[in-house]
Amino acid sequence: MHDVIIIGGGISGFTAAMYAGRLGLKTLIVEAGLIGGVITTTNIVENWPGIKKISGEELAMSVVEHAKEYDIDIETSLIKKVKIGGKKGCFTVSSGSKTFESKTVIFATGAKHKKHPAKNADKFENKGVHYCALCDGPIYRGKKVAVIGGSDSAAKEALFLSEFASEVHMLVRGEKLLGEKINNERLTKNKKITVHTNTNIVEMKGDLLLDTLVIEGKNKRTKEFKVHAAFVAIGIIPLSELAEGIGVKLNKKKEIIIDRTASTNIKGVFACGDVTDTKFKQAITGAGEAVTASYWAYAYVNDPEYVCPRGEEKP
Amino acid sequence: MAKIKIYSTPQCIYCKKYKEFFKEEGIEYEDINVAEDHEAAHEMLEKSGQLSTPVLDIDGTIIAGYNLEAVKKILKIK
Repeated sequence: MHDVIIIGGGISGFTAAMYAGRLGLKTLIVEAGLIGGVITTTNIVENWPGIKKISGEELAMSVVEHAKEYDIDIETSLIKKVKIGGKKGCFTVSSGSKTFESKTVIFATGAKHKKHPAKNADKFENKGVHYCALCDGPIYRGKKVAVIGGSDSAAKEALFLSEFASEVHMLVRGEKLLGEKINNERLTKNKKITVHTNTNIVEMKGDLLLDTLVIEGKNKRTKEFKVHAAFVAIGIIPLSELAEGIGVKLNKKKEIIIDRTASTNIKGVFACGDVTDTKFKQAITGAGEAVTASYWAYAYVNDPEYVCPRGEEKP
Repeated sequence: MAKIKIYSTPQCIYCKKYKEFFKEEGIEYEDINVAEDHEAAHEMLEKSGQLSTPVLDIDGTIIAGYNLEAVKKILKIK
């Protein structure tokens, strides 16, 4: 039986694993597919303390390698169910074919990209509508592309795409850009990038591939905008279903509610990273939560009065 | 030995994961950079119905996206 099972192998999950291993907890980290998580699809990270500039992939892999310095177990499985109780353990985590037991669980399950709600957006997914500029942007070398969204993530997607595309149009639904000042200034200075505010995409058109976005302006009039591709960056959806299944409290956005000890409402259950209700989400904030979660999991299992939790709520 | 083509871009992390896997298993593959080769990009679109990497062609079986389990199954790797 493990002291802690960390579900999710992104930067938060592996930071939690690194610290749990460091604290001597018998640790298992389970990742469904991509070790390193979604940050590996980020071109450049510039806000990790001590490193001025690094690719998301390099950063994630450095955290993974750091975690591997300690005696931890790593498993690649898609976890389908978590339940309270077990043969020996307090929690049972299972993929269907494999089952693991532990004294505590840390949810580091992250988030997925929010799909665009416009008519036909699903029809053109991977046929001109994309959710990862780093993966698919280079295919559109010399083409006219759009980025849908006004966040800092959207700004970074636009800046990356400008390295390949002939024109990049940032289509922002609101009145202004919402990203960090440093990236907004980069957008302004970049001659390939044009920012359009008050633009709501209501439909996507094309034959086999996307070729037109139907944009509704502030005046509710629509116009057609020709593009070869649209990269969507309109937010994320937390992957919190497993936690919800054991009674972990979520907020309206389906994010796991945590306190300053990264604890959820259920004893022995912690969470960190993009799946939590932290408003400002960055790799560094997720890593901070991860260390906090591991420390309090350690404190929890080493409490002289520790008894296996059975789904009790924290007082 | 199975004939494997991988349609990729240099930056695509999922493409790198496939290539690492093939190297670890000692499996030969042909790497096609669709960011540079537009004809190959069209070929990828025709085969997979998508303009998104990675796409694998393993002896005519097409796998669009990252699905290592499916690859292992086709190549009979445990």
